[in-house]
Amino acid sequence: MHEDQPATRFRELVVPHLQDALMFARGLTGNRDDAEDVVQEACLRAYAATGRGTVRHPRAWLLAIVRNTAFTWMAKNRPKAVLALGDDAEIDRLAETADAASTDTAILTPEAELIRKAEAAAVQRAVDALPALLREVLVLREFNELSYREIADLLSLPIGTVMSRLSRARLMLAISIAEAHRD
Amino acid sequence: MTDARLPPEADLLLLNALVDGELDAPAAAALERRVADEPEMGKAHEAIVATRAALARLERPEVGRRLLDRIEAAAGVSGPTSPVRQPRRQADWRALAASVALAFVVAGSGGYWLGANSPGETASDLVASTHRRSLLAANPVDIASSDRHTVKPWLDNRIGLSPPAPDLAAKGFALVGGRVDVIRGNAVPTLVYRHNEHLITVVAVPAAAGTSGPQSKQANGYNMVSWTGSGFSYWAVSDLERAELDRFVEDYRTATGVAASPES
Repeated sequence: MHEDQPATRFRELVVPHLQDALMFARGLTGNRDDAEDVVQEACLRAYAATGRGTVRHPRAWLLAIVRNTAFTWMAKNRPKAVLALGDDAEIDRLAETADAASTDTAILTPEAELIRKAEAAAVQRAVDALPALLREVLVLREFNELSYREIADLLSLPIGTVMSRLSRARLMLAISIAEAHRD
Repeated sequence: MTDARLPPEADLLLLNALVDGELDAPAAAALERRVADEPEMGKAHEAIVATRAALARLERPEVGRRLLDRIEAAAGVSGPTSPVRQPRRQADWRALAASVALAFVVAGSGGYWLGANSPGETASDLVASTHRRSLLAANPVDIASSDRHTVKPWLDNRIGLSPPAPDLAAKGFALVGGRVDVIRGNAVPTLVYRHNEHLITVVAVPAAAGTSGPQSKQANGYNMVSWTGSGFSYWAVSDLERAELDRFVEDYRTATGVAASPES
């Protein structure tokens, strides 16, 4: 049994990863204020869980709690902005869309030059407009800098699914950023 | 600039893996040759790199003093006080099958995680339902192992939480394995023990400090015992006889240091 005070363990296990938690929550909720509320509530859950020394991977553990918290927090406070992260039908629709896109000879690769010229605000809008399923994988990779394996473990997904969602997320981003800049 | 068609998805996955440093050296070298030789691959690679660069320019939210104060003030008190209403979500219960006889569900923190304070179903009902579903599942565990040093890390890696999984084989309760249940939208760790031909399912949820129980009850026709200690709140459900379930709970509590122990 661990003799540490919960507050001490909280500072050791949770506080070092708050930045990661906030970035992930920002990606899941789409705005800073909601992200802070989610992180605060996730921290309460984490605090309640730090009574025991069972946490092996504090960052992954906290991110998992943030994700669970974001679900429940959004369902309660932002019921219209449904976080349909577990919706199989949506995954299928996305897959079909992507398959159609990849066989459609009319799809052109977005111009890197247009993407490079894009302003940060436009890029942020494009990220926020991504389907939640794709956005969370993108955020975990680009902002939290998790490896494919870490993302797969966190989301309980096959690594191939992580790869295809990340690829689609970047493609959708590239297309919408390039188009926004062209306008 | 010339237009270039988008490469097939399989190639896009490889290009993404390349920029993410997820390819081994031979695969990366082969792909880099294609990027150099094939205009479509080159353009797609350039677009992915540009997209990553655009994301890198975005501002990262900083954890300000104000947020840190908020969090520490909230956590500094006695932990969560208001229960969170959870949306209803279904766990991925597997196909029907198998007769299982004893389930032991460790659940937690009173109502916090399981939303027991919300109207309608009580936490005990939810736990009993979880148990009933597990009896219908093809396999009561996702990770089958009698070694707690296998089961606990598996749960830790899945959801970052694992309850104590004492070795109670000498008491007649062998560890079968573990799984993750979803109760009111929360992933909760579950352990499964076996007694004779009966299975025991154990779910654990974090609790604030303190101990309480054990408290015996019935839910949905199952015997149930709940208690709090060692950082978790626990619910035990089973169709074992009351005396047998109580004995199991007592052994579990003793092994996890919750009950006064005559042994080490």
